[in-house]
Amino acid sequence: MKLTDFLRPEFCLMDLKAGNKEAAIKELTSVLLPSGKVNDKEDFIKHIMERERLGSTGIGNHVAIPHAPTQSVNGLVVAFGRSMEGLDFQSLDGDEVNLIFLLGTNPQELGTYLKFLATLSRLLNNRQFREEFMTADSPAALIEVLKKHEKS
Amino acid sequence: MIKNVLVSVSGSPNSLMATKYAICLARVMQTKLFVVYVIDSKVLNELLKSRIFVEAEARAYERDLEQQGKVFLERIKKMADSRAVACETFLLRGSVSEEVINKINEVNADMLVMGEMKELTSRSAAFYDEGERIFRKSPCSVVMVKNHAMVENLYKELV
Repeated sequence: MKLTDFLRPEFCLMDLKAGNKEAAIKELTSVLLPSGKVNDKEDFIKHIMERERLGSTGIGNHVAIPHAPTQSVNGLVVAFGRSMEGLDFQSLDGDEVNLIFLLGTNPQELGTYLKFLATLSRLLNNRQFREEFMTADSPAALIEVLKKHEKS
Repeated sequence: MIKNVLVSVSGSPNSLMATKYAICLARVMQTKLFVVYVIDSKVLNELLKSRIFVEAEARAYERDLEQQGKVFLERIKKMADSRAVACETFLLRGSVSEEVINKINEVNADMLVMGEMKELTSRSAAFYDEGERIFRKSPCSVVMVKNHAMVENLYKELV
């Protein structure tokens, strides 16, 4: 599973403007729209927020992975946003979130989605990976970090 | 003499092509075909443990994967029937590689057919890739299906 097959520079926001969870999810959704893979923006956001109501996807270590399967996307979509100030995501560890990976999948692509999440989860356990994601200075640099750690 | 062919499927286009090739092989060699679809509960549990999933969510995915597996296996059963190949299907859950290897041993498969695997990015990716594990740990010979156009033609000509 190559994460860089799905996360591209144009889907990365280096400095989120949003001040809260829902606004961040909306902001990240907007970067996916030009790809044409989100066919119903409002429905996509609705599914992501419904999942958040089951429990926060702020998993600790200043990371959140809001996600949901929904018919409103084609295939697997991934956006990344970085909040330098940190957002209240009601994270499990109570800390603010800086790194947000937004994922959506068509239910037909569940297998790929699960593999993506499992691979991302393993990378995010690595402190150095998280620190390099925090300090990368451009979307292209982020993708290089991802490539480097995929190969390690 | 080869008596039992087993194909491991995931529902992907590659595994569908592997199935078509396995049906061709089973028909030509007059063997029985075993088809295995594994619900990857290992990865679901891993995502639960890392707190990316909540319990209700993981169980919902498991049900969805089970439904997709049933539909896919029914489709394969019809495909095998249409080519006069004796076929038995298994819907399992657990670690994909472990379940496939166990089933190979259980049914005494002489040959495993798999879809083409994606290029691996690293040694750690190889460690986590279930297809790679099956390929390396299989107790029987493995056929990896690559030329999709050729397989489609073979399958069509098998009527």
